[in-house]
Amino acid sequence: MNNVAELRLSRVARPSAVKSLRHAFLAFLTANDVSEDCAADIATAVGEALANSAEHAYGNAGSGTVEVYARVERESLIVEVADAGVFVDRPRREDRGFGLRIIKAVARSVSIEREGGTRVRMVFDPRFVQPLEAS
Amino acid sequence: MSDATTLTVVKMDGELDIGRRAEIRHALAVEGNPSGVLVDFGDVTYADSSAISELLRFRNDLNRRGLPVALLIKSPQFKRLLEYAGVNEAFAVFDERGAALTYLGNAAS
Repeated sequence: MNNVAELRLSRVARPSAVKSLRHAFLAFLTANDVSEDCAADIATAVGEALANSAEHAYGNAGSGTVEVYARVERESLIVEVADAGVFVDRPRREDRGFGLRIIKAVARSVSIEREGGTRVRMVFDPRFVQPLEAS
Repeated sequence: MSDATTLTVVKMDGELDIGRRAEIRHALAVEGNPSGVLVDFGDVTYADSSAISELLRFRNDLNRRGLPVALLIKSPQFKRLLEYAGVNEAFAVFDERGAALTYLGNAAS
């Protein structure tokens, strides 16, 4: 399968759009020869960032978009999920607020920028990604 | 949802993500007074934290009513999700339906 170095997707941020974004992202991982279990975990983490955006970013302020940008850099996978809304990281109740915890369990690092919207940047461990062939 | 003697079985399949949250909550709204509840997620291929949140609400409700619950989960992704969220010990999770039914039978006796 041919490696694809970058992926850029954009959809209206709503719960029903998360599945198609996640599937497109999974196809990107498959194209980069990421193993099935690792791809499932990475897509789970990215799915949590997407779900947060879909559920909370725009609240009652109408609709907006969520973007996914992914790239293979050396042997790391860097993924950014961005919207123009507000990231919600409430104190975790017993039955809510697992998204960031799940992301942190899978990603090597996570950072959240909140200027002009929200950008969740996740870096996944090199063991998840096969090196791209030299072009 | 179906009743088998006094056991209630909740069955869902496919991908349980935020887009199906209302459906998950509705499916887990167990009424009556069964001896226990088997949540059959054997054909679920993917789950996210929305499913975990609804399962915890459901478990808390059943705990208040004194009803045992067993989860049938075969998806490796779903099992790892429970670990990543730190809630894998909050549920009795089984790979096989027979083992789940045995657990519920023992819990009810």
